[in-house]
Amino acid sequence: MRSISLSVGRRGWLRIAAGLIVLFVAPVVHAQSDASDSTALIKPVPVFSVQTGFITTFEGGTPHLGPLVTPLLLVPVGDKWLIETRGTLESDLAPQPGSPGFKGSLESNVDYLQLDYIANKYVTVSVGRYLTPFGIYNERLYPIFIRDLQTDPLILGIEAGEYGAGTGAMLRGGFDVAQGVEFNYAAYFSANSTVEHMESDRAAGFRAGVFLPGPRLEVGGSFQHLLQEERKNSFGFHFEWQPMPLPLDLRAEYARSYDGSGYWIESAYKLSQVPVWRNTMRHVQVVARMQQFFVNPEVVEEEGDAAGFTANTNMFEIGVNYYFRDDFRFVSSYGRQFAPQGGNENVWTIGMTYRVALPVGHGDIR
Amino acid sequence: MAAWAFLLCGAAGAQQQETRPAAPQSSAAASTEATNGGGKLDDAELRTEGEKRFHANCGRCHQAPQKFPPRMMATIVRHMRVRATLTEKDMQAILAYMTQ
Repeated sequence: MRSISLSVGRRGWLRIAAGLIVLFVAPVVHAQSDASDSTALIKPVPVFSVQTGFITTFEGGTPHLGPLVTPLLLVPVGDKWLIETRGTLESDLAPQPGSPGFKGSLESNVDYLQLDYIANKYVTVSVGRYLTPFGIYNERLYPIFIRDLQTDPLILGIEAGEYGAGTGAMLRGGFDVAQGVEFNYAAYFSANSTVEHMESDRAAGFRAGVFLPGPRLEVGGSFQHLLQEERKNSFGFHFEWQPMPLPLDLRAEYARSYDGSGYWIESAYKLSQVPVWRNTMRHVQVVARMQQFFVNPEVVEEEGDAAGFTANTNMFEIGVNYYFRDDFRFVSSYGRQFAPQGGNENVWTIGMTYRVALPVGHGDIR
Repeated sequence: MAAWAFLLCGAAGAQQQETRPAAPQSSAAASTEATNGGGKLDDAELRTEGEKRFHANCGRCHQAPQKFPPRMMATIVRHMRVRATLTEKDMQAILAYMTQ
């Protein structure tokens, strides 16, 4: 029996090896003819960036002070490799009954620490700790200097899981499939990790999307299968559109898992086309977001909450952001949360976000 | 406050370096060509294409960033190729636009 299983296993490995050769080596021959000499002349340099912010939130009248610092380091190696890592230091300072001032603990986390190998125009291999590529919010819109509203979407617990990251390997990429049509994907496997500040669940999943650069429209879907505990499935869809004639961003996501389901729809409009006070208005962005989360009552009954919620929750938010520069802005928002059993409350946020990026080395041409 | 002051000062210093696009590239770079769907693009066309792809791709998630020094930009575009699953052509065109 053992010799049979070994022979089958060997054949399986041969098939995998042949598949990898086709996947990684064959396209290189074609890709080399597309390489641009001008971009190849520029030797990349390590980059260090810090994203920071101070957000004050009033939830149901209770103030929370939220300082946050997110250092990011990018280290390119050769023409094909990149080491990238980002951490988060944050705190939630709130008044404690019976004691003066605001109290809270400092929380730290490694968001990602990954090694990327750009194998060819179709495939990039990432290993290490990576952000879970489910939907668009966790991976693309989460950074404090990018998000238009500072509160997390209600469905973030479904799409990002408990930790928002996986530990393992991922294949990803984007390429043209036709004139004006781009396809992008990410497929990953994550192992269970209990390392402090780098926890992750054992899971596998993928995300795929189609982007039309002409109308600036992207649609896609995601799937994840948890390979531990309840072994639950999650799936979702995302949508992004920046209509050409308007400084308008439209984004939406839907996600569903055993815990529940929900969606958010967000629009952000830059007032650069308003014909009065143009110098001021072009820095102003107004944002609105509507979202709903529907819990699975069975999960609430068994575990006490589902993805952090004990009842169906609706939320509507509006916000105003002022961009002093693309990397330095004032943010503010008002939201009203509707949930039964006393869950109705106002949520106000106000704060500043800032990002700086510096080269670690010389910024000249090779 | 001290941290904010430090970061703002750092930004002011870095901004002087970063806000202006890099000086025209070397003759080697200026004479280069890249392909687009089987056709060849000269540098001017590549920059135009890069600007278009820059607004289409980068604008999906965030406001258009200012330009950084070329070697820094090469790293950032590589990072965004992985993070935002940019295509190889997007990466080349955006890098050409952001560094020239």
